[in-house]
Amino acid sequence: MEDQFLHDMRRAPPPEFAARLRARLHAQRPAHHERWRTPVARWLAAAAAVAAVGFAFTFPDVRAGAAAFLDLFRVVNFAGVRFDPQRLAGLKAGGVDLPSLLGDVEPLAQPGAPVSYADPVEAGRAASIDVRLPAWVPPGWTLAETVVAAEHSVRVTANAAKLQAVLDTLALNDVRLPEGLDGQVATVTLPPVVGMTYRSGDVALHLFEARSAEVSFPAGFDLPALAHAALRILGLDRDEAYRMAYSIDWRSTLIVPVPADAASFRPANVAGADGLLIERARGGSVLLWSAGGRMYALSGPLGADGLLEMAQSLQ
Amino acid sequence: MAIDGEISERLPWASGPAELDWDAAYAELLPRVYNYFRYRVGNEAAAEDLASRTFEKAWTQRARYRRDLAALSTWVFSIARNVAVDHLRAQRPHLSLEAADAMAAADTPHDDVSRASDLERLAALLKHLPAREQELVALKYGAEATNRAIAALTGLSESNVGTILHRVVQQLRSVW
Repeated sequence: MEDQFLHDMRRAPPPEFAARLRARLHAQRPAHHERWRTPVARWLAAAAAVAAVGFAFTFPDVRAGAAAFLDLFRVVNFAGVRFDPQRLAGLKAGGVDLPSLLGDVEPLAQPGAPVSYADPVEAGRAASIDVRLPAWVPPGWTLAETVVAAEHSVRVTANAAKLQAVLDTLALNDVRLPEGLDGQVATVTLPPVVGMTYRSGDVALHLFEARSAEVSFPAGFDLPALAHAALRILGLDRDEAYRMAYSIDWRSTLIVPVPADAASFRPANVAGADGLLIERARGGSVLLWSAGGRMYALSGPLGADGLLEMAQSLQ
Repeated sequence: MAIDGEISERLPWASGPAELDWDAAYAELLPRVYNYFRYRVGNEAAAEDLASRTFEKAWTQRARYRRDLAALSTWVFSIARNVAVDHLRAQRPHLSLEAADAMAAADTPHDDVSRASDLERLAALLKHLPAREQELVALKYGAEATNRAIAALTGLSESNVGTILHRVVQQLRSVW
């Protein structure tokens, strides 16, 4: 090649220079938190939002009296629901505030910035869980960082008028909200999350572990009726929404909305536990599963087989 | 698209894999930026200094940074080019053509020495070319940028970039 002599003059940066500059850049940013804020905060927000969707399916059809027992939702299973992003874009453009679609949201405990820990055991101690680590990771991948995000908790007060307005906007005339919905209060709690980053060169995958999210709400609800409304809002057709609403255990199933144009999903078995594998259209996958009262999420640029093998090796 | 951002904020699995990972970007871009400066200024120590300045500027201006890595690469190299311009403006040529010829004739038995020497020879030869040609060589062979990426950075057409580089390589080859 005529120009090979020009290529041949390239040289790797001296390692001591690269390390020194990296250290200087790290010193100029807020430790590891900035880099972590995005994935952890996203996962937290997503988990809380998803839990809130779970909560949506738990409103009562009659207002619970003062003596009513509190019912409780805990994550045991995951179920994917495909939704049309354009539909939510239309709602947003129409002035609908998506995070408070179901009611008025009041933060009770804010997680703040995640905190780095020297190792997973220490992180697990901080999060009050026994962290499980993969016995198998793909060759070349090593644990690079462990953080803990504190508990996140919100109170949601149902606003039936707001929800009915959304139904009207979407012309969902077949949906009837349960009576007595307005003013019902639920509390959504996401316990501390331990996040671990594994690296192989320039790429990273993330493993999250937490005790199950919980939603407490007044007992005696017609859960399927409200589930039907929520599924219709997400864009499921009438029959599919009805079939799903009346076939799912809404006290233990976490609904995971998946944008139809961004990802596909399928059930996955992780060491005997039912999980959900989401494969992004633009690469990378997310595996969600629950076992022993814990929720797990594994996300990264591995194929489905790699993610599943790593997930199944947790011990 | 707004909805994409909206969904990505709430649903991590909806977002692509190109979210900012500064460490990954650093690992990928440092060798390219470092070599861009080596080819542009012909001096290892200056290349380290200029690469440091580039990354420090990129970090302090990170709020302007866009998401995907390709855009990041373009953005970082636009900073690098400005750093190079500032540096070169403050410099004066310090090696004559005669000196370059003398270096070209030198016999260097060890690879490392030879490589360092070659870089200085190249720098000396490039100094007699227009700044645009010098820049294209540094981007092509130092930064390992494609002709398309160089075109996007410099405002030249892709075919023009190829034509200029071909001509420059011929020139350099003839005196190497």
